[in-house]
Amino acid sequence: MIKKNKKAIAMSFNWIFAIIAGGFILFLAIYFAGQFIDTAEQESYTETAASLSVLLDPLETGLASGKANLINFNKESKIFFDCTEKLNPPFGKQYISFSDKTLSEEYREEGGKVPILNKYIFAEDVVEGKNIYAFSKPIYMPFKIADMSIVISATKKYCFYDAPEDIQEDLENLNLKSIIFMNSTSECEGIKVCFDTTGGCDIIVNELRKEVYNKKNKERVYYSGDLVYAAIFSSPDIYECNIKRLKSKFNELSKIYLEKIKIMERQGCLPTIGGKLSLLIDRDIRDSRDLDIFIRDVEEIDAVNRLSNSGCMLYYNENWGR
Amino acid sequence: MRKNKKSQLKIQGTINHRFLDLGFSKKGQLKIQAHKNSKKFLVPESSKAQLKIQAMTNQRFLKLGFSNKKSQLKIQEMAFMIVAVVLFFALVGLFVLSIVFVNIQDEATRIAEEKTLAAATSLADTPELSCIAAKVNCIDADKLISLVNLNNSQYDKFWPFSSLSVIQLSGFEKEEEDLVECTFANYPDCDIFNVYDKKVDNERAIASFVALCRKDFQNDRTYDKCEVAKIVAGTEFKRIEE
Repeated sequence: MIKKNKKAIAMSFNWIFAIIAGGFILFLAIYFAGQFIDTAEQESYTETAASLSVLLDPLETGLASGKANLINFNKESKIFFDCTEKLNPPFGKQYISFSDKTLSEEYREEGGKVPILNKYIFAEDVVEGKNIYAFSKPIYMPFKIADMSIVISATKKYCFYDAPEDIQEDLENLNLKSIIFMNSTSECEGIKVCFDTTGGCDIIVNELRKEVYNKKNKERVYYSGDLVYAAIFSSPDIYECNIKRLKSKFNELSKIYLEKIKIMERQGCLPTIGGKLSLLIDRDIRDSRDLDIFIRDVEEIDAVNRLSNSGCMLYYNENWGR
Repeated sequence: MRKNKKSQLKIQGTINHRFLDLGFSKKGQLKIQAHKNSKKFLVPESSKAQLKIQAMTNQRFLKLGFSNKKSQLKIQEMAFMIVAVVLFFALVGLFVLSIVFVNIQDEATRIAEEKTLAAATSLADTPELSCIAAKVNCIDADKLISLVNLNNSQYDKFWPFSSLSVIQLSGFEKEEEDLVECTFANYPDCDIFNVYDKKVDNERAIASFVALCRKDFQNDRTYDKCEVAKIVAGTEFKRIEE
């Protein structure tokens, strides 16, 4: 006769309850610890983004024709840019956020978006790398409107083929090592930027039509003067948004100059550009295609201003059209 | 048969007491008795077995009642313990969070102050205020009064300051309430250009010295008249408790 062992493991109610309750508390502790780490990371990223916006302040050109900075990070990092002309009227605003790589070589979720109100940053939507270059150029329409800051990755190479001399000189003076100037026969690994040629190029600049075509996005943007750098290095969305923001800035500055004309009239000066300036305030720029006509009218205003005697000039713009 | 009936009655009696103990109503007890009597107690052969079953049933009722109370007490103890542990961790968490948030606030304040300082030092070179002649760290007073005179200036949405003003040399020695505010009518015989003031409660001001130049007319000639002036830019400090 086989005697079956009917003994079972007796588990008292206390044990079962302790295991369930303990497990629940442990789960909560691990969950909140994870949440806390995530929040701390987000905080650190947001702080970095805010500090980055402060680092761009010294790039204000003042009287200089351009300035450049190299910004280094400890790890491979990503900087995210966003732009809207609709919020914070009339100036619009931009956002900057930050993220870096974890030990597992993956990027964490980006930190909080830090708003930037008083800068015009032209960049790709995401700039990636351990080092980044930030350089600035003044924008004149016909008086100085603002400084545009251009942010590019130092690890991403840009190969400029057959670039005009003034552009080459300008960029070489800024000592940006990720921009290489080549002639049409030489080879270069990186983003190929061609001037008035099309063969195998990623970005094509048509100087006659003042147009920059990006093959990757299949989008065209239009430029004037130094805005060519913004058109080359920036994503089309950010470029178009900042063009509208710059027009709003032009409107606000023109209002100041119109008031200034009244003061100058007290001192015997009679500037005659007030009427044309008022007309340009009302002119709408829908996108960069309208830039060319706008700049032609701006040049007319400048011609009138240059005719005034030196004591009665409304503004000076010695660096414009240099 | 008689003996059997007597014992049945005794057992019923005990059942009644126990039922009463367990809290059943008397009407309910009577019904149960009647039911049991009609089905089982009237049959003499199975009466012994019935007694056993009844006795067992009674024991179970007793045991269940006792262990229920003990378990309930333990659950209560455990529940109180869990509540205490959760409360303890919640308090520790709140303490840690308060330390962390104070650090965040300090960091935000530091960055805001850095921003104001960086912006204030480069303010004189911005297109809105810069001198028309090529001078560094120079404010065009004509532009400044134009900016002050603008009816609906939006620049409080552009610069990262909570307030912005420029004090002329004539106002350096004066008390704040004695300063004459610059308007289109009294310019340039005034002391302070108030560009804007958001009127915030917690504000720290940063000052920077600049050259303030304006066009002046003398002996049939216009010339740039320059004086030292002070830019005063305020930063708002946001407090969590507010």
